Amino acid sequence: MSLKAPPSPDPETAGSRARGGRSSRPVRRPRGGGLARLGPLPWIAPVLLLILAVVVYPIVELVRTSFLNISIAGIIRGSAGTDKYRKLFDETDFGHVLVWTVLWTVVVVAVTMLLSLGLAQLFNQRFPGRRITRWALIAPWAASVLMTATGFKWMLNQTAGVLNTVLLDLGLIDKSRDWLGSPGTAWPWMMFVAVFVSLPFTTYTLLAGLQTVPKDVYEAARIDGASGWQTYRGITLPLLRPAFLVGVVINLINVFNSFPVIWAMTQGGPGSDTATTTVFMYKLKETDIAESAAMSVVNFAMVVVLVLIFLKVSRWNEED
Amino acid sequence: MKTRAVVAGAAALTMALGLTACGGDSGGSGDKNTLKLVAADYGDKKSNASKLYWQEVVKDFRKEHKDIKVDVQVINWNEIDKQVKTMIQSGNVPDLLQTGGYADKVADDLLYKADEVTSAKTRANIVDSFNKAGEVDGTQYGIPWTSSTRVLFYNKDVFEKAGIKEPPKTWDEVAEAAEKIKKSKAAETPYALPLGPEETQGETMIWELGNGGGFTDAKGAYTLDSKQNVETFTWLKDNLVKPGLTYANPATTDRKTAFADFAAGKAGMLNGHPTLVQMAKAGKVDYGVATIPGKNGPLKSTLGVADWMMAFKDGGKKDAIKKFLDFTYSKKMLKFNEMYNFPPVTEDAVQQMRSSGEHKDLEPFFEELPNAKFYPLGDPAWDVVSAEMKKTGGKAVTENPRQVLGDLQKKAEDAAKNK
Repeated sequence: MSLKAPPSPDPETAGSRARGGRSSRPVRRPRGGGLARLGPLPWIAPVLLLILAVVVYPIVELVRTSFLNISIAGIIRGSAGTDKYRKLFDETDFGHVLVWTVLWTVVVVAVTMLLSLGLAQLFNQRFPGRRITRWALIAPWAASVLMTATGFKWMLNQTAGVLNTVLLDLGLIDKSRDWLGSPGTAWPWMMFVAVFVSLPFTTYTLLAGLQTVPKDVYEAARIDGASGWQTYRGITLPLLRPAFLVGVVINLINVFNSFPVIWAMTQGGPGSDTATTTVFMYKLKETDIAESAAMSVVNFAMVVVLVLIFLKVSRWNEED
Repeated sequence: MKTRAVVAGAAALTMALGLTACGGDSGGSGDKNTLKLVAADYGDKKSNASKLYWQEVVKDFRKEHKDIKVDVQVINWNEIDKQVKTMIQSGNVPDLLQTGGYADKVADDLLYKADEVTSAKTRANIVDSFNKAGEVDGTQYGIPWTSSTRVLFYNKDVFEKAGIKEPPKTWDEVAEAAEKIKKSKAAETPYALPLGPEETQGETMIWELGNGGGFTDAKGAYTLDSKQNVETFTWLKDNLVKPGLTYANPATTDRKTAFADFAAGKAGMLNGHPTLVQMAKAGKVDYGVATIPGKNGPLKSTLGVADWMMAFKDGGKKDAIKKFLDFTYSKKMLKFNEMYNFPPVTEDAVQQMRSSGEHKDLEPFFEELPNAKFYPLGDPAWDVVSAEMKKTGGKAVTENPRQVLGDLQKKAEDAAKNK
């Protein structure tokens, strides 16, 4: 926060305030006296309070909970020390949930970014019906993620799903399949849905980036005889970098924390076979709320580390 | 300028305080004559939602006790445990709760004893074996609400089409019948085995009872990975799941899916409780019932399930609670059990239902009742164990049974240590 950034009261005012007691000389800002000493605080105080209440307080409470012993009925029975963390790391499923969380995040973000690059490029061209297609792209974004995921869940349903019906009618499969019942087929489908709902935002971010690239740079490249691919790699991508980075960072956090898609489609089951750490945390809540809080703390730490590493690697500040 | 900033600051402060206060107690206490009742929803459609039942109970109760108000909140089975937990954590404790388990709340000393909130007459009217099941270490806390037993349901048309003469009595006969149904394509799912999170523990216990296994030994210690239990799941895996005689992924298939499939004529047979009677009738399925097959013969004691009513001490409304419970248990039990076709827990309602002749379809369930075996309901650790089973228990029929059950056993032992 830029607490020190705004200019402090100019020397004259400050001086007049200091001497205020013994001089009756009129001051330039007679009513600003008390408040001015606080600098910008009164103006940012509401925001600070809000941040304290909705960001800092829950985190403090979360960390506190992870060190408590809470009965299944919900009564606090005292401190648990680091027991809950030990219990969490001892969970049979913990290892593969971590691995799948990484895979899930990397695959979904990578595919989303790649597809969005293409889509943004496409939507940046002039073609008839562009306005309509641009609007259409908003649909998956505008619809609630939970609704989209529930819709896909039913399309994939074993007995009533449209996908099984179509595949059966086309003779591609001989028996309707339970797509979301086993991790092998559930993961790809959930990743597909996650990409589907991430595309609009990412594409629009990149599209906005593309539109900031000045035309004359392209013109210069064309005069120099650069090929399409050379232009793309040499001009478009580098100039798109800020928008691309924003897209990646926001998607990383979003996808890592993504809960509705997985919860609506498989609830992380069977067992925790299709759970990411976020879903796993939610499932732990059913048996041990403190262990679930411990998982949350670990999650929180991972997001912070993830973002820090990413900013470091991409030399964010240099771009600024 | 100054005033505006102050106002904004004050507003933000109020907001912040308001936000943090959300966690405090916003209900629970209140006035002594308002009872907060939280109940599970037994209905499967709008017309038989439990909310309708409770509204009527409260209306009639208010005719006799004008001074007591009752706020009813009905929650579906998938959510009720979680929501109640949140209520307790946030200090917003209900006065009365009607749900599936009670013992975990006894461990935290949250409940009134049964004799504090019911009259002797009310308790005497409840079938004794159920009162016993409501005890923790010899003191009754759980007040039985309703009961049910499990029997094998089979689709008569499917059996006929597949050429099966009579319902299976042993596991091998189950597999054989399922094989016939599969070959003749009489039903999409020959045997419906729901081991999904909805009620993993129920289906698990039914099958384990068939092999002389179960959840606890005579002393009450958990034996989830006993030799018999591992054997049971190995059999299920090798004889029903692998040959494709049941769902491809039993671990993610819930009971309600299995019931719906049976009511739609898509499943050949399954273990069911009285609700399925109504569902099958509504779906025009010609069904038969039989005692559930065990490994070498029909089960001598089937799974009995009881749901419970309990009263919380937090609000200190003992007298109002007692009035309400005595009223409900003496006048409104029959209505509930007729609405859902459940075997009642009170003597007078049992007699009325058996003698009226209108509930012939419940006879098989009544007959199984005296020998029914229950979950370890009086064990405060049971709720954790049951929740763990719901999460991973179903995987025992697709993965290594010994490992899955062993993992559960470890968690059960931990829970028993920390109860």
